[in-house]
Formats: sequence, structure tokens, C-alpha cells
Amino acid sequence: MLTANKGLIFYLLAMLVTLYSCKSKETGASVQSIQRIPASHPKNEEMTVSGVDKSPMDMSYYPVDYPVLKMTGKTTEPPIARLIYSRPFKDGRAIFGGLIKYGSHWRLGANEASEIEFFVPVKITGKIIKKGRYIIYCIPYEDKWTIILNGDLFTWGLKINASKDIYSFEIPVNKVQHVYEALTMEFEKTAEGMQLTIAWDNSQAALPIMF
Amino acid sequence: MKRSLLLITLMLVSVSAMFCQSKLTIMDKSPMDVCYYPCNFPILKIQDKVTEPLAARIVYSRPQKNGRMVFGELVEYGEIWRLGANEATEIELFKDATVEGSKLKKGRYTMYAVPFEEKWTIIFNKETDIWGAFHYDQTKDVLRVEITPEKLEEPAEAFTMMFEKITGGANLVIAWDDVVANIVFNF
Repeated sequence: MLTANKGLIFYLLAMLVTLYSCKSKETGASVQSIQRIPASHPKNEEMTVSGVDKSPMDMSYYPVDYPVLKMTGKTTEPPIARLIYSRPFKDGRAIFGGLIKYGSHWRLGANEASEIEFFVPVKITGKIIKKGRYIIYCIPYEDKWTIILNGDLFTWGLKINASKDIYSFEIPVNKVQHVYEALTMEFEKTAEGMQLTIAWDNSQAALPIMF
Repeated sequence: MKRSLLLITLMLVSVSAMFCQSKLTIMDKSPMDVCYYPCNFPILKIQDKVTEPLAARIVYSRPQKNGRMVFGELVEYGEIWRLGANEATEIELFKDATVEGSKLKKGRYTMYAVPFEEKWTIIFNKETDIWGAFHYDQTKDVLRVEITPEKLEEPAEAFTMMFEKITGGANLVIAWDDVVANIVFNF
């Protein structure tokens, strides 16, 4: 039994080392070194490929599932919007007021700044938004969120350059029963147009978008 | 010995259960990722280390090998391959480029491949915002180039696309399982 325990401890340690030893600082992704076979390549060089991100990227379209509709020939309207964002996990943490401080910049994602693209001009809380690409972030408070569209594209989410803010909107935020483990952002059809639903932990908000 | 094997199996099951438990919301099995040239452009940007403007970005999804034989089986030789998973892989060029000696104008394209054991045809197509290669339309091709894949010593578990700096441009490295291929870009 003692041997079995030792074996287990060793096994667990090995698991832990494998799981946590090779995380890159920025993305939390594991990295794997791969080596080209020398005979077929001039240099016996080693390169590092990154593993899958800890907070993986995802994409949302309006019309909902536009790429699938397009593939199956079922599109009835042109694409309106596309969002690319990364999805952190709650992972047992208190999110709002804890991990994310009220009144501070929240990147609405992880890794790269979240990017929203409008393929046509749209209207949000009465403001006309020019078609094009923006990064999107939030300043959360307990009862409302300020959602901001900013022109500083292709940047990392941790450092927001607020001097490039273009539009901002205030929306209410609600507590919900369901706990969203992963940050979830999705476009949804509404009676007036559509909305970008943003949910994480037990908070949920919606940005109404008319087009 | 039997007993410790059983214990180890139980441990494995509980560890995997731990991981599954944290995924109440549906996450993609083949998560999306992005690569840039210059490499890691967004990080360089917040560190004020950008020395040249953004030339290219690829948004793609990363299927895992997961114990499967990839080339010749999962990815069939001679068939169109979506170079990713889920949404079609998208490359955006922020300036005109030369790809394996052929001109490709700045803009957004979907990328596909037709792999064979000895060569791959890489396809740039102008139909963007579509799913996979299931509705691939050859009439919308913009460019096709041929490259020669090589073998890797250590198989790559996740399908990987990344730019690597070379003199005068970049290699787009495509690696999965025991195969790696390079596409030469000059910007």
C-alpha cells in the first residue's frame, strides 16, 4: 500500500509539473518545442509553437451564425456585425467588484483587446456608429456599465489608450440566477434590431444595436 | 500493482472531471487563435516596441491531433482542407504582399489547402465570413501557390499557424502532427 501511495504521489507530482511547468506568462498557453527533421531542412532549428490559450478566442456574428448560414445558402440579410474576443473563466473567483474593480477599465475579454466590426452603419442608444472596426471595452459599476468603442486596433487588452475612445454608451446591468463560467458575448435578435449580450459570473447586460 | 493501477485510473478520472466541471458554458472544442506579422504585434504595441507596421493577421481555429493520424487519414490527400476548424481561416493583409513569388493585394481572404504527401496547394479565396470548406467556391480563388511540406521530429498536438521572421519578410509556418510547411511572404 505504501508503494502504491508513493507511486500515486509521484504520479500526481508529475501531472502537476506537466500541467503548470510550461505556461507562457502572457497568455497562459502551454508551449511545445518542435524540431524540424534536419535532413529536410537546412538548419536543425527549433521553434516553439504555442499551445491552446487558457482563455481561448471565440467569434460571434450578426446575423447569428452567419458563416453557417452562408455555407448552407440560407442567408436572408447581409452581415451586420462580427465580434472577436477571448473567454476567461470564472474559475472560482468573485468577478465583479473582485477580479474586476468597479470604475476601472475592463477589457471585456482576455489577451488581445476584443474587436467589434460593423459592416454597415448602426445606431446604439441613439448615436450613429460609422461602419468599421473598433476595440470594445467596459467600465463596470455595480448598477450600470459604460461600454466604449475605441479606435486603437490590434492591441493587447491590458493597456487601454482612452485618448482613442470614439463612442461610449451607458447600459444597465442585471444579476441573474445562472452563473456563467466563461465570459460570454453574443449577438441576439431583438424586436427592434439586435443586441450584444454580455454575461459573466452572475451579471448580464445587453447593448442594444439598431441597423 | 493492480490496485495502484486502479487508483491511478480513478485519479485520472477525477482530474478530468475537475477540468470538465469548470466548463458549464459551451466552449469550442477547437478554440480560435490569432497570429500576426510582426509576431505578437499587440504585445509589442503595449510595450512600445513596434518597429514596423502590422503587415498580416490570421484568425483560425485549432483542432487537436487527439491520438488520430492526421495526414492521409483525417485530412485526406487530394481533398480541400480548411486549414483549421469552425469558421473558415481568415488572413488579412494590411499591405500588398508577395506570396511564394506571386502578388497578393492587401485585403481579407479565406485560406484553404489541398494537401498531398509531397506537396500542398495553398489557396487564397475572396469569400470571407463563411464556415469551413464545405461550400468552397473555386471561382472565388484569388491565388494558388504550391509548397513542399516537411517532417517534424516531435508531432504538434494542436494545429498551429504562426509567422516567423526571415530576411525581407516572413515564413507562415503551418504545423500539425508530424508535418510542417512554410509559405514565404514578402512585405
